[in-house]
Amino acid sequence: MARAVIAFEAVSKSYRDGERDVLVLGSASFNLEGGAFIGVWGSRRSGKSTLLRLMAGVECPDAGTVRFDGERVASMSAVRRERLLREDIALMTIAGWYPQPKETVVDYVALSLGSSQSSVSQTRREARLALDRVGMTDHADAPTNSLSISERMRTLLARAIARRPRVLLVDEPALIPSLVERGALSALLWEVTREIGSTLVVASEDMTPLHGAEVVMSIGDGELCSTDERGAVLEFPGGVSIVPPGL
Amino acid sequence: MGWIHPLEHQLPSLVAIEHAVLDQSPAMTGSRSNRAQSKDWMAGPTGSLRAVLLGLVLERPGYGYDLANRLVQRLGETWQIAPKDVYRLLDELHELGLLDPREERRPRRKLTQTIYYPTASTARALSEWIETLSPKEPMREGIRAKVAAAREQDARQLLLTLTEHERTCLKLARSAPPAIGSQAWGGLVVDCARDAVDAQLRSEIEWARRTRHRIEEHLARQGS
Repeated sequence: MARAVIAFEAVSKSYRDGERDVLVLGSASFNLEGGAFIGVWGSRRSGKSTLLRLMAGVECPDAGTVRFDGERVASMSAVRRERLLREDIALMTIAGWYPQPKETVVDYVALSLGSSQSSVSQTRREARLALDRVGMTDHADAPTNSLSISERMRTLLARAIARRPRVLLVDEPALIPSLVERGALSALLWEVTREIGSTLVVASEDMTPLHGAEVVMSIGDGELCSTDERGAVLEFPGGVSIVPPGL
Repeated sequence: MGWIHPLEHQLPSLVAIEHAVLDQSPAMTGSRSNRAQSKDWMAGPTGSLRAVLLGLVLERPGYGYDLANRLVQRLGETWQIAPKDVYRLLDELHELGLLDPREERRPRRKLTQTIYYPTASTARALSEWIETLSPKEPMREGIRAKVAAAREQDARQLLLTLTEHERTCLKLARSAPPAIGSQAWGGLVVDCARDAVDAQLRSEIEWARRTRHRIEEHLARQGS
């Protein structure tokens, strides 16, 4: 079996909701290998976003270990973790992005490519190429706050693929109200990650974006359930994704 | 073929319904004790109904009309149950050695009635059915019947069965081809049909999880 890009080892995570702790994951272990398409299904507030943030290393588990390429994420320096998010992992989420009236779409995408090694014109050129690929050519010079949710998702995808990440984590494409546009984005996600050879993880409360995934798992009440089987990229210790407590 | 509905008092007419001719399935051949050992009785679209009838008789022996009523109440209004099937299934279970019908006189009445009792094989047969998940039975009917007929000692097996059901639903969701996002009519109807399947799978998974947690909470209470 190939080496895991991301590995969870007995990871537990809770978050605070008012006066009580809500369990997101209770001792979850699995390996995520390169080039796969993983679907994560869960209802609202089931912990899908937290699972993706744990995978991206932007949140630390309460217990257990998350590894990227065998390296313990919690032990990485701040610089190393920042590089991980800039170069290796793209977390595509609409939450926390506040589009600005004076920020163009191409600049928003180019911003993620900015480095001392590239000129502004070069990064803009690369950003336009990525926008072309996701069907956003006509919106490249529009202000980001003029975009629909579907267009924002495509912009986020352009921003992600411009960096050619090894892992693309997509949080809730079902936010797009149009079912046709939602289906089109799902198809696009699948195509572009195949082109750049990335691992694709899509988390959604909708089943449609998960069609065609090699492995689908569900999350809720701290439990993961997976379609783990031969050839699967997720390997659960003991071969069983979850065992109800007490068994 | 009529339904039995708890609010429609159609059941008295059941008494007059003649017993249907028994299926000549493999389960109905061989000696009665051998047939009781076989799992063939679980097969087919009425396998779950047979099993729930066993569970009901284990809870409390009853006559045909009573068992038919309890079957409908236990499985709910959305389960299509033909009245004549209930009597046919009781006969089959008797032939299989899984039920023991006895003629008894009802209190304050002159007529006798056939009361169905469990046999020595009934409890084991029910346990085996709860442990068996046919791969051709991915949707809720079979597992819903298992939940309806399960005894408390089946709780842990039921948890495993519900988990396997959830995995089966996830596999079905995964096996659909990636969305094509077509705006043509042909693509639309394909998407809408697929949407119905997805809605059913989501409902299945949510129900399986809820049911599992209720059982886990019950086991935790019992253990505390």
